Amino acid sequence: MSKYLSLSLQEIHELLKNKKITPKDLVMECFDNIEKSNLNAFINVYKDYALSEASKLEELEVDDDLLFGIPIAIKDNIMVKDMKCTCASKMLDNFVSIYDAGCIDEIKRHHMIIVGKTNMDEFAMGSTSETSYYGAPHNPWNYDKVSGGSSGGSAVAVAAGIIPLALGSDTGGSVRQPSSFTGIVGMKPTYGRVSRYGLVAFASSLDQVGVMSRNVYENAILLKAISKEDKRDLTSFETNDDITCLINKPLTNFKVAIPKYFISDIVDKEIRDKILEIKTMLETNHVTVDFVDIKYIDKTAILYQIIAMGEASSNLARFDGIKYGYAYPNPKDLEDLYKKTRRYGFGSEVKRRIMVGSYLLSGENAKIYYNKALQIRDDLSKEFQKVFDNYNLIIGPTTARCAYNLNTNLDDPLKSFMDDILVMHANMGGFPSLSMPIGFNSEHLPIGLQIIGNRMDEKTIYQLASFIEKEIKDDFSEVRNGI
Amino acid sequence: MEYKKTVGIEVHCELKTKEKIFSPSISNYGSIANTNANVIDMAYPGTLPLLNKEVLSFAIKACHVLNLNITKDMHFDRKNYFYPDNPKNFQITQNETPIGTEGYVEIEIDGIKKKIEILEMHIEEDTCKSVHSDKYSLLDYNRAGVPLIEIVTKPCLNSGEEAVKYLEKLRELLLYAGVSDCKIEEGSMRCDTNVSISKTNKLGTKIEVKNIGSISNVGEAINYEAKRQEELLEKGEVLKEETRRFDDKTKTTILMRVKETGNDYRYFPEPDIPFVHLTDTFIEEAINDLKRMPDERRKDYEKAGVLPINIEKIIANKEISDYLENFLDTNLVIASNLLLGDIQSYLNKNSKNINETKLTNKKFHDLVNKLDKKEINNKIFKDILIDIMETDQDIDDILKDKGLNISFDENLLNDIITNVINNNQKIIDDYQNGNPRSAKALMGLIMKEGKGKIDPAMANQKLMEKLNNL
Repeated sequence: MSKYLSLSLQEIHELLKNKKITPKDLVMECFDNIEKSNLNAFINVYKDYALSEASKLEELEVDDDLLFGIPIAIKDNIMVKDMKCTCASKMLDNFVSIYDAGCIDEIKRHHMIIVGKTNMDEFAMGSTSETSYYGAPHNPWNYDKVSGGSSGGSAVAVAAGIIPLALGSDTGGSVRQPSSFTGIVGMKPTYGRVSRYGLVAFASSLDQVGVMSRNVYENAILLKAISKEDKRDLTSFETNDDITCLINKPLTNFKVAIPKYFISDIVDKEIRDKILEIKTMLETNHVTVDFVDIKYIDKTAILYQIIAMGEASSNLARFDGIKYGYAYPNPKDLEDLYKKTRRYGFGSEVKRRIMVGSYLLSGENAKIYYNKALQIRDDLSKEFQKVFDNYNLIIGPTTARCAYNLNTNLDDPLKSFMDDILVMHANMGGFPSLSMPIGFNSEHLPIGLQIIGNRMDEKTIYQLASFIEKEIKDDFSEVRNGI
Repeated sequence: MEYKKTVGIEVHCELKTKEKIFSPSISNYGSIANTNANVIDMAYPGTLPLLNKEVLSFAIKACHVLNLNITKDMHFDRKNYFYPDNPKNFQITQNETPIGTEGYVEIEIDGIKKKIEILEMHIEEDTCKSVHSDKYSLLDYNRAGVPLIEIVTKPCLNSGEEAVKYLEKLRELLLYAGVSDCKIEEGSMRCDTNVSISKTNKLGTKIEVKNIGSISNVGEAINYEAKRQEELLEKGEVLKEETRRFDDKTKTTILMRVKETGNDYRYFPEPDIPFVHLTDTFIEEAINDLKRMPDERRKDYEKAGVLPINIEKIIANKEISDYLENFLDTNLVIASNLLLGDIQSYLNKNSKNINETKLTNKKFHDLVNKLDKKEINNKIFKDILIDIMETDQDIDDILKDKGLNISFDENLLNDIITNVINNNQKIIDDYQNGNPRSAKALMGLIMKEGKGKIDPAMANQKLMEKLNNL
């Protein structure tokens, strides 16, 4: 089977426009990849639907939209009408969406072809995708290693070359961390840039839909397409800016900050060394790179957990066996229905977080923990804001270590929070943040660089990312045929 | 020493906005079950709340008529608890920043006025309606997400009578503010009450009574409950905080559950709805949209000479009162009598409301003025009523067609009276002998001669003049 999907978006578009290939060819190639893959990247795929959509597109003129006819994979916590939306949970194993998410409206408007829903941690809770009801996906760089999470399936699908683009979701790093573990580009936009309508809520004040891609330019194209104010999401805002406009533009008077915490010894030495290499490269190109202190930066993980688990305990209350989803059969009474539906419908990590979250909101605890966490969160945002007053961007590693073996974290919830210790800040402050591959460790596993920008300043992130991408010779496509 | 009652009342009122508060579903009573419910109402995963601005306007109006301070910077909170009628298993309400604080409603009992103080009023969403049978409980999601205001008094009421007066006044104010239908039987107004008794200044154990089906039942519930508590206390029993329901058949309160401590709702600010700032302009627009309130209208009716019993009848029928607002420059006594009497009967008989008839403002204006100037009399009015209500014709045209103008020809009247007196000596003799029915008999003959074209009051006056001069 020909490898059109491994070409760049621009090249594929040319071929479609000149009728050298059709959308159906792309879909067939994609499903060929899916069927050959043993990486467990997908939960459900829809070949007939995708082929029928591809046929419909053949009736239309190929316009200037680079996304026209391109297959895309969607994380299984985003609603796509008539497709199952399981959130990788027994609770929604048979649940079929009856509406499209806001971002899916845009995907369809751009004539992209959704091929299926990708694997993830159950209800987006985790950093390895191992809590999935359907088993963990595998890292294409090393089958025995985790893909990262919670958007592990989407990361694997793109990294392994099954599909060029995917949507994920990021609450405390769930797009950036798996992107870092699998060597792809993952972007979490400014809070409110992409509609959350149709994204199954985990932590409402932290969740965002994110874009996962092979390179910076394609990431920006897709993010631009799904950025839209949605009246159905009161936290979304009007976006008229062109976030692609600074790609490959020169970095004049550019100042970048590296938080000292991000380069401390909580991070593996190999990763720190790679970051320092980037620093040197940037300085050679007349970019100012300073180390900075940021107050509260080391306390963020705890604050994040309080807020995320508190909100999650409330957001997941709706799964009760009464309206949709799994229901415990033949309960004795109402209380039995609630208890057993949730006991058997949810996995243990989800239950743990719901219980901790409920505890943190109970009685006096709400004042002691939750309200206080909200206050300090405000202060943390202000501290980051102060840095952006003097610097264009903040950079550092995405993760403290590279992908590790499957089945290591399962009994230690604290260990898995360590995976997100460098990425939660962007969620807490609503700042946009991108991860891109910059090299490998000694096990030949990818190392990711994180670039955090001021709110609404995705274009500057893409500007720096495109520059660095050019400087780094590797395009990390090595495993893109390793299906 | 007498036990003193301390009573607090909580009222939930459905706001009659077009759409629900957090979703664009139609908010309507009486639709077929589950036809006004969308994915948001049913708490489908991935759905988010909207915020219906009309709800905020309505709540502002309610705050205004209840003399509440309006909280300009407010937000919503989640109240977390599991129950089948609560689709998200949390209710979006206002715990920290109720939209209205520190208000009052003034009542009057036996000439004495009292301000019933309102602690707060907040906005929240309604739950599903549930229907229970032996085997199943059924849920109707039409009601889920209907906007409510909850109005909580301070524990400042001291009797069932005060409670009834408070609720009647509250209902009247909210009805005239145009924010709710306040129909207890339809559930658009629900009342719960807290009752405690004590002989000292220290308050007694507070017991809640719910499920009260009418305003008068509230008074009965409070009186019964106070008496029940007194009997127990006299026996030396210690009262526990409880929730009881009022049983209309037995007129008693029945235990539902003992109140446990730690009913923890884990309140936290609703993250999906940004904090709200009510601008002065928005508040002003809402308040300026209010129609005149009942007490102001009562003053006008009183000034115009409408009888107190009729004033209350008009106020109790808002449609009529609103209709009268267009005719404040006419004779309100005549106008209100028409509306309360023959016109109301016509509407009832034909199952119409006033907007469904051909009665235009101009026609009603003409009608009232003609009756006021005695150009037509009541009998003529009754003859032309149907034409007025059902045809497009002007009053003048209707009268012309039917040849029904009263002529004010005094000479004609005098001639007729003289004629009748001259031709009915026997009846005149009877009259002079003191027979009270003679005058009536003469009037009958005069009216017959006049063929309905003369004004009976004027005729009677002239007849009596003439008889007394015989």
